[in-house]
Amino acid sequence: MKTVTAGKPKIVPITGAGACAQAMRQINPDVVAAFPITPSTQIVEDFSAFVANGQVDTEFVTVESEHSAMSACIGASAAGGRVMTATSSAGMAYMWELLYVAASMRQPVLMSLVNRALTGPINIHCDHSDSMGARDAGWIQLYSENNQEAYDNLVMAARIAEHPDVRLPLMVCQDGFITSHSIQTMQLEDDKAVRAFVGPHKPHHSILDTDHPVTWGALDLQDYYIEHKRGQEQGMRNALRVIQEVSDDFAKTFGRHYGLFEDYRLEDADIVLVALNSAAGEIKEVIDEMRAKGEKVGLLKIRSFRPFPYAEIGKALSGASIVTVLDRSASFGAHGPLFTEITTAVYNYSPNRPLLLAHTFGLGGRELTLRHIEHIISESRICLDKGEVGNRQGLWVNVRGDKL
Amino acid sequence: MSELKNWQELPYGGVILEAGSAAKYETGSWRTWKPVTHRENCVHCLKCWEYCPEDAIVLENGRDSAGAPRKFVKEVNYYHCKGCGLCIRECPVNKEGKAVALEFVRDEV
Repeated sequence: MKTVTAGKPKIVPITGAGACAQAMRQINPDVVAAFPITPSTQIVEDFSAFVANGQVDTEFVTVESEHSAMSACIGASAAGGRVMTATSSAGMAYMWELLYVAASMRQPVLMSLVNRALTGPINIHCDHSDSMGARDAGWIQLYSENNQEAYDNLVMAARIAEHPDVRLPLMVCQDGFITSHSIQTMQLEDDKAVRAFVGPHKPHHSILDTDHPVTWGALDLQDYYIEHKRGQEQGMRNALRVIQEVSDDFAKTFGRHYGLFEDYRLEDADIVLVALNSAAGEIKEVIDEMRAKGEKVGLLKIRSFRPFPYAEIGKALSGASIVTVLDRSASFGAHGPLFTEITTAVYNYSPNRPLLLAHTFGLGGRELTLRHIEHIISESRICLDKGEVGNRQGLWVNVRGDKL
Repeated sequence: MSELKNWQELPYGGVILEAGSAAKYETGSWRTWKPVTHRENCVHCLKCWEYCPEDAIVLENGRDSAGAPRKFVKEVNYYHCKGCGLCIRECPVNKEGKAVALEFVRDEV
């Protein structure tokens, strides 16, 4: 391993993409295979500079497509390496088939995903349609509000994904441009401290171990496929516990606390907003303003979307009177994916059964301003006073031609 | 095939830890037609053995007319033979049409 500086954490101005590249440098993975795509480009760009400068020991594979990138990652992981990649939008869509292969082969490949809209019409800006579409692929999905969280999640990623009770690939999501390209200050931990926290990688039935030859990716038919899938599901169920354990250890080491979700001023809130990633920052701002005016409003920000902590979230929402869910992706002909999960959590685990209101916002990078959030909260109040959400259900926010 | 295992007993991700374990997998039940050897007509050219995708042609050691050691076709391993018929197609005795060294017959279920 390359020698690293021992020192104190630094407060640095950095973009979200730059922060993830720094985390990758500190983790020093064995293999990175990536094909740069906006807005995740800076991650790959910065990291290739680290490789060229000799700051990491990583074998950097410049592949010809994302399909090849994920294929190379799976092969390198099966060979016993710690493997990372970064992508966005159409790039991950092109990995589609391999996302499932990585998960079902239980290869703990780590991905820094910068959320971007999927094409049609072509758009490079933020929404969550890429990761939401991949939610059934079997990857752990951690969402990040800002640079610091994207960095911290990536530092924790290896220990979660490689845990012997989990062994699943993991993607750390952050909002394209809003987080990936905005410079914010954050705490960059010491190289040595991060490397010690992450720890060495233990190969698992490596295909390069010729004394113990194994076969990965064999045909699996009616007699065993479903048993392997059941084992995969168990890895995901175990991940709920492991994510919390690793997060608790992270808090002990670096002082920043993370749960499976964050509750912001939730204890006595009548109106609760639910959101992912950067929108949570603006929502907190508005909550503070409206709290000052006496409106009891709070936020539940999801960190772990896969696995989804149904019971814990249902319990956290059991004091709410209305839960308004803001989805940054559309499932055409259905409510947004976050809303359906929250509904499941509330129906099963919130005895008081709050009203549930679905909104879609921000597709293709459409802004969600503080005024929009205020409006959403006052509309939620109206629903609450009426005792029903009525025709407000499923409204899209900040779309010309619609009211909200 | 050995007794089927529960999901808890399986190694992660369908990895196969034992080299050569494919030999334990019974594929003979896939067969609807089966090759039958007629050794009296066989010239032991080993074409069937060479072409068989399942390695289901079993050979035995013997000696040729000059006394040198060589392999002879012994039998078909019906535990692995899927009944694809490649051996029937490639058999040079069959091709000549005068005799049948390998015969394809409907398998009994």
